[in-house]
Amino acid sequence: MSDQAPTPRTRVRRLPELGVYDRERVNEIVDEAIYCHVAWVGDDGEPRVIPTIHTRLDDELYVHGSAASSTLRAIKTGLPVAIAITLVDGIRFARSMFEHSMNYRTVVVYGTAEEVTDRDELVSVFDAITDHVAPGRSADARPPTDAELKQTTFVKIALDEASAKVSDGFPEEPDDDLALDVWAGILPLRTVAGEPIPDPLLAERTSVPRYVSDYRRPGA
Amino acid sequence: MTQAPSERTRVHRHPERGDHDPATIHAVLDEALLCTVSWVDEHGAPRALPTIQARIDDTLYLHGSRGARAWKSAAAGTELCVVATVVDELVLARSQFSHSMNYRSVVLFGRTREVTDPEELYAGARAITGHVLPGRELDAREPDDDEWRETLLLAMPIDEASAKVRTGPPGDDERDLALDVWAGTVPVRTVVGPAAPAPDLRASIGVPAYVPSSGEELPRP
Repeated sequence: MSDQAPTPRTRVRRLPELGVYDRERVNEIVDEAIYCHVAWVGDDGEPRVIPTIHTRLDDELYVHGSAASSTLRAIKTGLPVAIAITLVDGIRFARSMFEHSMNYRTVVVYGTAEEVTDRDELVSVFDAITDHVAPGRSADARPPTDAELKQTTFVKIALDEASAKVSDGFPEEPDDDLALDVWAGILPLRTVAGEPIPDPLLAERTSVPRYVSDYRRPGA
Repeated sequence: MTQAPSERTRVHRHPERGDHDPATIHAVLDEALLCTVSWVDEHGAPRALPTIQARIDDTLYLHGSRGARAWKSAAAGTELCVVATVVDELVLARSQFSHSMNYRSVVLFGRTREVTDPEELYAGARAITGHVLPGRELDAREPDDDEWRETLLLAMPIDEASAKVRTGPPGDDERDLALDVWAGTVPVRTVVGPAAPAPDLRASIGVPAYVPSSGEELPRP
């Protein structure tokens, strides 16, 4: 539960009262979000950003890709990356457009990516990322073969330089606006799973597992 | 009217998932509540910031505080790369290896210009408010001069963009089909909870019709 001292990059400058450097809070956001956005600097010196799925083991964030992916080929050489992870918990409706906002939790991680090459670690990360998609799934799904391990690249980024920004609560508006005849308040948002759609090739007798019929995100 | 891919927007990995049709690109930018803006800072390092976007025709609008370094740098003409993602379904395959997502994402490259024309400023403010919840832009008070002095509105042309889309069931290997493991997709969507009025809201003001009821999907532009 240690607090991390913010670095110049992770110190929250805009609305600094929203900055959270507590590792547990960072971990909760990382675990609940389904995907992340990974940014890096291309060969041409210009920014690149892509969505990808991630998982976390202890203090490392793992990002997944094909061994053939140009993104992973670029960043696994130790290029600096910036990773943004965002959860929106609600819409904050103010009377003025200006004071509209979101209740959100976001994490930005800075670091360098290191390729995972240890076989045991790769197998653990496969389990973790499968469970990140659907908690409980790794016990059911077939583990990767050697050939599949070769086709996959995982990189890890230490969560050492990470900060969260958490915004919560009702809009705060100037007195003049309180008199306006406009509704104000919070509309909570959440991500829910719908009715599962079986693979057309699925044998009929295969029942839907509990972690699918009762699907929920960790922490949600 | 498909845009020809540039070297940066050509989809290299799974090229069959690449889509340069503006209709696909626009739908993702409208549907995703947020995007992530990335840029290269003065030390040559990548930076990333989640923010709200809105689209009018072929222009993406971003906004932020004039005091924020990221937006000042963007307004000064720093090259940006913007990504927006919508996850439609989780793809649960029989093998861990074939697990995936059905998603739609857009990557957009370019520079922004600061909006100064009053008509465009107000159109942008309405578009951003309506992006969050369609209908709200007709209700909320528009920004006054003091508020505009604190706010930067940036316009980015949507002309170097590509979408990537995965749909359909899991792509398991033939040899895995005999495994006794459930496989399929699980749709995910964003629904709203019960609207909570602000504590200082006058009791006579009811929840507007454009606010969906609890359990309903969040309407998109």
